[in-house]
Amino acid sequence: MNEWQIAASVLLVGLIPCLWVCARRTFADGLVAVQLAGTLASLALLLLSEGEERQPFSDLALVLAVLSFVGTLLFARFLERSR
Amino acid sequence: MRVAEAITYALLVVGVGLEVVATLGVMVMTRVYDRLHYLGPASLGAVLIAAALWVAEGSSFISLKATLLAAFLLIASPTLTHVTARATRISELGDWRPTTDERAEPRQR
Repeated sequence: MNEWQIAASVLLVGLIPCLWVCARRTFADGLVAVQLAGTLASLALLLLSEGEERQPFSDLALVLAVLSFVGTLLFARFLERSR
Repeated sequence: MRVAEAITYALLVVGVGLEVVATLGVMVMTRVYDRLHYLGPASLGAVLIAAALWVAEGSSFISLKATLLAAFLLIASPTLTHVTARATRISELGDWRPTTDERAEPRQR
C-alpha cells in the first residue's frame, strides 16, 4: 500500500462512527453524520484514484460531493416537516 | 524531491488527522448543535489534502479536481451546517427565530 491508499483507508474507517450515529441517535444527529460521511467518502474516492493511479476516476469524488450536498438538503427539508 | 515528499506527507497526515478529529467529535458530542461544530475541520482537511496532491503531482488533472472538490466543500459545508441547525430548531421549537426566553437571558443558551 502506498501513502494515498493508507490515507483513504483511514477515511473509510471514519465512516463507521457516522453509521453508528445514524443508527443510534436522533434524526437531526444522523443528518450531521450524513453530512460528514459525504465529505469523508468523497475525499476517500479522491485519494483512492490517486493511490491506484487512475486519475480520471477523481470525477467520482466530485460527483459524490455534489450529490451528497443535494441529498443532505432534502433530508433537512424532511426534518423541518417532521414536527 | 525529498523536501517535496516530506511536505506531501505532512499535509496528508494533518489533513487526514483533521478528518479523524471531526469524526470523533461528531461521535462523542451529545447535542446536535455541539456536533455541528466539528464539521468545520472536515472541510479544512479537504483543503489540506488538495494541497498535498498539488505538492505531489504539480499542476495535473487530479490536482485540479482536488482543488474543485475543496472549493466546493468550503462553500457547501457551512451552507449545510446552517441548514441543519435551522431545520433542527424548526423541528424542536416550530420556528428558527429566538424564543422570548432566549431574548430575555441570552447568556444561558
